[in-house]
Amino acid sequence: MAEVQIIDVRKAFQATEVIRGVDIRIADGEFVTLVGPSGCGKSTLLRMVAGLETVTGGEIRIGGRVVNDVPPKDRDIAMVFQNYALYPHMRVADNMAFSLTLKKAPREEIARRVARAAEILGLTGLLDRYPRQLSGGQRQRVAMGRAIVRDPQVFLFDEPLSNLDAKLRVSMRAEIKDLHQRLKTTTLYVTHDQIEAMTMAERIVVLNDGRIEQIGAPLDLYDRPANLFVAQFIGSPAMNVLSGTRDGGTFCSDRDLRLPLPAGCSAPVGPPLVLGVRPEHLRLSAEGFSARVLLVEPTGSETQISVDADGHALTCLLRERIAVRPGEIIRLAALPSALHLFDAASGCRLP
Amino acid sequence: MGRASLLQKLILIVAALMMVAPAFLFFLWMASLSIKFEVDNGAYPPILLPEHFAWKNYAGVLQSNNFLLYFKNSVLVTGAATLLGLVVGVPAGYGIARMNATRAAVVIMIARMTPGLSFLIPLFLIFKGLNLLGTLWPQIIIHLVVTVPIVIWIMIGYFETMPIELEEAAMIDGANRWQVFWKIALPVARPGVVVSLILSVIFSWNNFVFGVVLASRETRTLPVAIYNMLSFEQVSWGPLAAAALIVTLPVLVLTVVAQRQIVAGLTAGAVKGG
Repeated sequence: MAEVQIIDVRKAFQATEVIRGVDIRIADGEFVTLVGPSGCGKSTLLRMVAGLETVTGGEIRIGGRVVNDVPPKDRDIAMVFQNYALYPHMRVADNMAFSLTLKKAPREEIARRVARAAEILGLTGLLDRYPRQLSGGQRQRVAMGRAIVRDPQVFLFDEPLSNLDAKLRVSMRAEIKDLHQRLKTTTLYVTHDQIEAMTMAERIVVLNDGRIEQIGAPLDLYDRPANLFVAQFIGSPAMNVLSGTRDGGTFCSDRDLRLPLPAGCSAPVGPPLVLGVRPEHLRLSAEGFSARVLLVEPTGSETQISVDADGHALTCLLRERIAVRPGEIIRLAALPSALHLFDAASGCRLP
Repeated sequence: MGRASLLQKLILIVAALMMVAPAFLFFLWMASLSIKFEVDNGAYPPILLPEHFAWKNYAGVLQSNNFLLYFKNSVLVTGAATLLGLVVGVPAGYGIARMNATRAAVVIMIARMTPGLSFLIPLFLIFKGLNLLGTLWPQIIIHLVVTVPIVIWIMIGYFETMPIELEEAAMIDGANRWQVFWKIALPVARPGVVVSLILSVIFSWNNFVFGVVLASRETRTLPVAIYNMLSFEQVSWGPLAAAALIVTLPVLVLTVVAQRQIVAGLTAGAVKGG
């Protein structure tokens, strides 16, 4: 069983604590993504699972076995790095076979496993080339092939697509996802790109400043973010936020913008709140609040409009194409059920 | 090409020539001396290319009894010192680079900058006490003072620019520390090893000071042999110049052939990790 358990793990570099008590349980065969802004500690956490960094506190278990003091080569893991880390003086086939060559495995077995990995990734014609003769996407596939040949219990990916151009990133995303469905190996994937996380993961772990903000399925994080940080991190363009208070059945912002709240909303009247509404949940409506158009950005399938509503800068994403120009007034409304309320002091979600 | 840039180019060439001229012209004159007969040497105005080429100068040097012996001594001393320097220096450079041991690096730099003469006499006394003076070992050992710091400094620069992910990938693949060094770090840093080898050879081959003090008649190296030609015989410029050129030739050829690698190595050519 290749489950990975990260139990109350802490990491400090001298006096600076970078990971502050993280708990994650990854089931066998699950694809889990670690996301967060730069510097939140996700790469450090991954490297601790790999054994490339020491653990200051807590436990890491792979397959039920505590691996805190086990060197990387004995943990039965494989890692794919951001800059591929292919051995430049070896051919592709030797790169992929390196781990087996070190173990002095028989030649037929090496050839068989390399051929199988090459076939899965479409590298069969490139086995005799050197890394410098390959494109970025090919190199990344060789790095994955090197990981597959090891046939490990856990795959670790450290922002593998960050060095690729946008189009290649999209196709490689699908390939990695497809690979996971074929091999069903437990995977821990680190990225700063929340779109990658949303599309690829079965569960997402949002990390911020060494702490977990929320763990859950992608759509859960989208529909019910546990706090303001997650709400603004997941979803592109980012969620609109307004500070204000509740006044009966309406939300009243600091600048006196009013939005109707859903029935059964349990938010307290009085204390400062933060209202969140995603750009895609704002609609054109004759009964809504008025807003002055600042910027219109059509993308073909959608139109992104930046507006000024009573001093609040909001973004809305509309499915239809409307003929507005900067300076004109439009009326917007949000479905009450699509609103999110957070306590202003703690940032936590109010049900 | 405009008038202005042509002038610029001309000035650049003249400036370059002026800077290079002392070394180059000296060399040219030495070459000229080596192929002239005695009588042409004092001729005025000075002759660059004589009518009759005095190849006997070269023949005389090469046929001289001990020349081959001195050549062999030079090769052995430089070869052994360079080889030992690499065996010690490359792993040392790797260790210092990976452990960020900057203080160790500074110590080595100080050792490099210390004048050789300051440890020459104490070492001479030690070698005398160990009865090693008749062999080549004193020179080999003291040449290590020249070669080891060069190797370490170049290799530190090289290993520091090598991305550490390569070694981490190797560790995950199952390599222990030694295998990481031997199978991954060393092959990737091969250009650095080549450069330090070349520079060690150059500095060790030309070394004069150590040989003068530590060498006996049978164990002296080529630079010392040339010096001795100067004092024993009357100053016959022809054979002297010929001998000097023969000694300089191997290193000169090496430098010309490997100049690109030397420049690349000294500017710490970073290896892109694939």
